[in-house]
Amino acid sequence: MRNSLLAVLLLFTAPVLAQETIKIGVITDRVGVSKPYSEPATEGIVFGAAEINRKGGILGRKVELLIEDDQSRPDISAALARKLIDQGAVFILSMSLTAATQQQQTVTMEAKMPQMTPMNSGDTLTTQLQNPYFWQTGPLGSIQIATLLAHARAKNLKQVALITDNSDLGQLLAKFFKAGLEKSGIKVVADEVVARGATTATPQMQKIRAANPDAMFMSGVLTAENVLIFKAYRELGLKIPIHSSYNLSVPVYMTVAKGLIDGVTFVDAYDPEKPEVKEFETAYKKATGKDSFNLHGYGYDGIMMVGEAIKRAGSTDKEKIRAAMQGLAYSGVMGAKGMTYSFPEGKRAGYDPNGMVVRIYEGDKQGRVVYVGQK
Amino acid sequence: MSVIARWLGPVLLLSGAAFLLSDYHNDVYRKMLLWVALALGYNFLFGICGQVAFSHFAFYGIGAYSVVILLFQFHLPLPLAIVLGVVICVLVALAVAIPSTRLEGFYLALATLALAQLFVVVLNEGGALTGGTSGIANYRLPDIFGVRIRGPWFTAVIVLLVVGTYAVLWRLDRSWFGRACRAVRDNPEAAAAMGVNVARTKVIAFTLTSALAGIAGMVYAFVDNTVNPPIFGIDNAFLLLFMVIVGGAGRHAGAVIGAVLLFLLPFWLSPVVGHHHVLVFGVLVLAAILLQPRGLIGLFDFAKKPS
Repeated sequence: MRNSLLAVLLLFTAPVLAQETIKIGVITDRVGVSKPYSEPATEGIVFGAAEINRKGGILGRKVELLIEDDQSRPDISAALARKLIDQGAVFILSMSLTAATQQQQTVTMEAKMPQMTPMNSGDTLTTQLQNPYFWQTGPLGSIQIATLLAHARAKNLKQVALITDNSDLGQLLAKFFKAGLEKSGIKVVADEVVARGATTATPQMQKIRAANPDAMFMSGVLTAENVLIFKAYRELGLKIPIHSSYNLSVPVYMTVAKGLIDGVTFVDAYDPEKPEVKEFETAYKKATGKDSFNLHGYGYDGIMMVGEAIKRAGSTDKEKIRAAMQGLAYSGVMGAKGMTYSFPEGKRAGYDPNGMVVRIYEGDKQGRVVYVGQK
Repeated sequence: MSVIARWLGPVLLLSGAAFLLSDYHNDVYRKMLLWVALALGYNFLFGICGQVAFSHFAFYGIGAYSVVILLFQFHLPLPLAIVLGVVICVLVALAVAIPSTRLEGFYLALATLALAQLFVVVLNEGGALTGGTSGIANYRLPDIFGVRIRGPWFTAVIVLLVVGTYAVLWRLDRSWFGRACRAVRDNPEAAAAMGVNVARTKVIAFTLTSALAGIAGMVYAFVDNTVNPPIFGIDNAFLLLFMVIVGGAGRHAGAVIGAVLLFLLPFWLSPVVGHHHVLVFGVLVLAAILLQPRGLIGLFDFAKKPS
């Protein structure tokens, strides 16, 4: 009898308890082109939400994640933003392709739904639409390039080679790299492209060797083609320093380019010596039994910032959350030591322009920081 | 029953459904209907006329980008932008179709695949005109006679587009031209011997279906009020092909079934099997090709057949 009463009581109180959670929507990519980036970043969110709940939740309520897979398809992404709004989410975190995040914004702007991307780096996400309900905390592409070029200037390079792949993003980054290098007075003496699906990069590397550059810049984003470049570099016995885009910060290179990447420098938003990073890595390992890396940190910082904003807002009222988010200053896992995310003067891109670092591969491991910021 | 009454029923029924749906379901419904419109056109080109072309989705993008650029970069009035958008689609289609009459099968597929790839490159490299990699956003459908069409009313516009596309293709299929297309698909030499101008038939079918895809793209441009290169990526050209094959190539109803099923599949399966929905998709496509070459519509035929 008592059990039956308890069951009836639970039946009626369950919806009430369910209402007590704070729903945060997450749009990620589990099968599309962004999967290698979206999945670990989303794992960071899941870990962060569990940490928040372990410490008592926000405003005395547990956080409930509503995770949706958009397959990196912008049209589906926008539909899922509508779904999350219908389901009562108070905030949406976008962990998918930049274009998908942009298309979600057309929905969140209309619905006045707070939304943030902790990992997208497209510069136009906060400028193309004047959406006061959207924030971006991933390091902007322009900051990445400026940091890499500042490091190059510090090396007093006179002439360099540039190599990329023929992907859209690779081509775009190469264009930015070239413009930035030439603006800095550094001459680009070789400009090579490795096509998607190529079986060797030796001809391109031979041309680069013939041009006798002081260093080589890599802006390609295709893993297999980048590995071909490293392979040809080693086979030809080249010694020139390699400076790579952010793509080399993805840990997959530690396994697929074993023995090929020692000494390569790359721009990153993750300093392994930062105390917050050490604390995060230990806690993540303890909770999940797995190692974490930079992409996990993006998701973790994202959910923590959202939690902080809701806490400061003191309610789940979207207008109050918007105001709290805009006034937020938060130091997290990502960024150089001491970096704080903030949104001064109405800006909605919160990554500090001097918050990126240049790191170096030591053996097959992503090693120490060798340069900070863009000064 | 008059012609108007015959088509009015489906229009009212399909439009009425939009007023009963939530925002989310309305959005999914709108996008599904647009895929149906595309699949109908592609079915005519591939299933009825036998042209294996991968440019159909690119024309969807050309229509979308054209209307947005003409409206918001050149500030033309909506009716003129629509007409010019169709003209652009027709001109591009003719520019592809006329030299392509010398190609068939695999070579036509390659040529149109190149066009689809080139289109995405042009979008990315288009600078301020196309908005580059970010595309174009921050616009909305201009008011029509002072009325802002949005929500379920905009869904009703899409229903009109789908039913209109279906009506045009259904009528064409039952005309001399439709029979000529099927003859060209089945045996071009025999069709030519019967007096069918094979090249002209192919060009007209390609241009017409491309223009229909362009018109669907113009409507799509206002679904989320944004256009960007990844929306019109090459993957979608293959998805469209699978929709027609799984549904049943050469049959209008097959195209509808294929488009509805393959578009909604991830939405249905994701909550149940997570990201394994891709596996189900692959199995379904394989099963359809191996077990039922006439597509899912073939199952209906089988069930209807008297024992």
